[in-house]
Amino acid sequence: MINIDSYAYSNNLKTIHPGEKSLFAVITMTVCLTSPTYITPLLVLALMAGVIILKAGIPSRIFIKLMLVPLSFLLISVLTIAFSVSTNPSGFWLAHTLYGLTIGIRYPDLITAAQLFLRSLGAVSCLYFLALTTPMTEIITVLHRLKVPAIITELMVLVYRFIFVLMETAITIHRAQASRSGYVSLKVSYRSLSRLFSSLLGKVFVKSQELYNAMAARCYTGEIKVLTKKYPVSLKNYFLITGLGLPLILFNMLWRR
Amino acid sequence: MPEVILEAVDLDYFYPDGTNALRNINLQVEKGEKLTILGSNGAGKSTLFMQFNGLYRPTTGCIQYQGHAISYKNKALIELRKKVGIVFQDPDSQLFSSSVYQDISFGPLNLGLSEHEVKARVKQALFDTETTDLEDKPTHLLSYGQKKRVSIAGVLAMEPEVIIFDEPTAGLDPRHAREFMQLLKKLSTEGKTIIISTHDVDLAYSWSDRLAIMSSGEIIAHGEPGELFLQPELIERADLALPWLIDMYCSLVEKGWLPPSTPLPKTKADLLMIIPLVPITIKPML
Repeated sequence: MINIDSYAYSNNLKTIHPGEKSLFAVITMTVCLTSPTYITPLLVLALMAGVIILKAGIPSRIFIKLMLVPLSFLLISVLTIAFSVSTNPSGFWLAHTLYGLTIGIRYPDLITAAQLFLRSLGAVSCLYFLALTTPMTEIITVLHRLKVPAIITELMVLVYRFIFVLMETAITIHRAQASRSGYVSLKVSYRSLSRLFSSLLGKVFVKSQELYNAMAARCYTGEIKVLTKKYPVSLKNYFLITGLGLPLILFNMLWRR
Repeated sequence: MPEVILEAVDLDYFYPDGTNALRNINLQVEKGEKLTILGSNGAGKSTLFMQFNGLYRPTTGCIQYQGHAISYKNKALIELRKKVGIVFQDPDSQLFSSSVYQDISFGPLNLGLSEHEVKARVKQALFDTETTDLEDKPTHLLSYGQKKRVSIAGVLAMEPEVIIFDEPTAGLDPRHAREFMQLLKKLSTEGKTIIISTHDVDLAYSWSDRLAIMSSGEIIAHGEPGELFLQPELIERADLALPWLIDMYCSLVEKGWLPPSTPLPKTKADLLMIIPLVPITIKPML
């Protein structure tokens, strides 16, 4: 997670308007999720891999690693769709019968599973594009512009900031415990971990009070108002997004006929 | 008679758990002065600062701003906080946004300034704290010193009359601590009233116009740095140490290198100036 986050601030596309990047990700993801074929998800996957690796300059090793993360979940869920168990052995494409029970794959199920697999993978690649190229703060700003309620966007700002503060605190406590043999055996580890969590909870309360005080000291009145840096709007990028999105949409529609 | 801008009058403060954190505090802050609150850990410096802009409410006594006791109504508090800014000790509890730029813009936007004005102020604050090249970085990837400078920028951008810094140089490396002192000098020449807390006695001695020494919730002495530091029993009572300049000066007076009437040196250069030049004759060793 930290890795994705640091790439978001250092990739080659960081100067592009966050709205444009979000639009691109959302359009391609929608196209990918609604596609009736498995060619579109493959195209989307290739497109995103190209943009992420070549345009944004994320090392291909990192991209492949990230794509492998959802793969295991996906494989498990897809297998349950592809395989079926039945007392009726007819209609199976590949099957094995044992004591009257047939376990196997039906051809239409296999197609559904493959499509679902590719679609999910394609959609994940779109999300990775957004996560790897756009800092969270920018995404929150886009959401704010889209009139998402302030309570949600403000919470996102605070949660995002304090994930890191909390994690840093937890790492510090863990290090302090480990350096005093806090994790040498399973029993000791359990005890240390429980202490870590309870002291973390205490710290969270203190920190939140301190944060409130510090914000109040800067005239906080219940609404977090901040200025965001303006990014240049590029017409070229909108053309590019349309140029890439339209053929995919058309392809989807034509295939449906 | 200089104008008193901020004043604590017979102030007592108890924490909700009953701890008596501040006892009978009487302190006047003059407009445009450089005041240092010296004290060991837990002496009550931070608690006193929280009183100064209405974050904590005194149990008895009051805080006066420009001669009027402050009101704890929302609107009045906001007005007070426009005038009295605090930079907290721990930058992690002050920075609420992951974006440096957003965080600095928070204060000035709360003042109801125009977007144009806020932008100009953020830019100036970034420049003054040498954080311009950090503006696009997320706060969680900054070092402690960088976070500290960003949190200072966040308060500078509000341009308060009185700026309170809680342990400003703690955790800064010598170079950035020096640059921070330069920034303080600049703010001071602009007419700002500056209050800092520290236990760095050297810094307190050479920087401040006036000192207040705190020990277990009380102000045990206040006055000119030179006067206070010449009272060793006071320094010991507050768990502090002598600034090296004073220490050196006293030793030189004791050994007869300086007449007792010599004025106290404020800087290293002053000290070197007052030490008389004595030609050294090297006797050949036999």
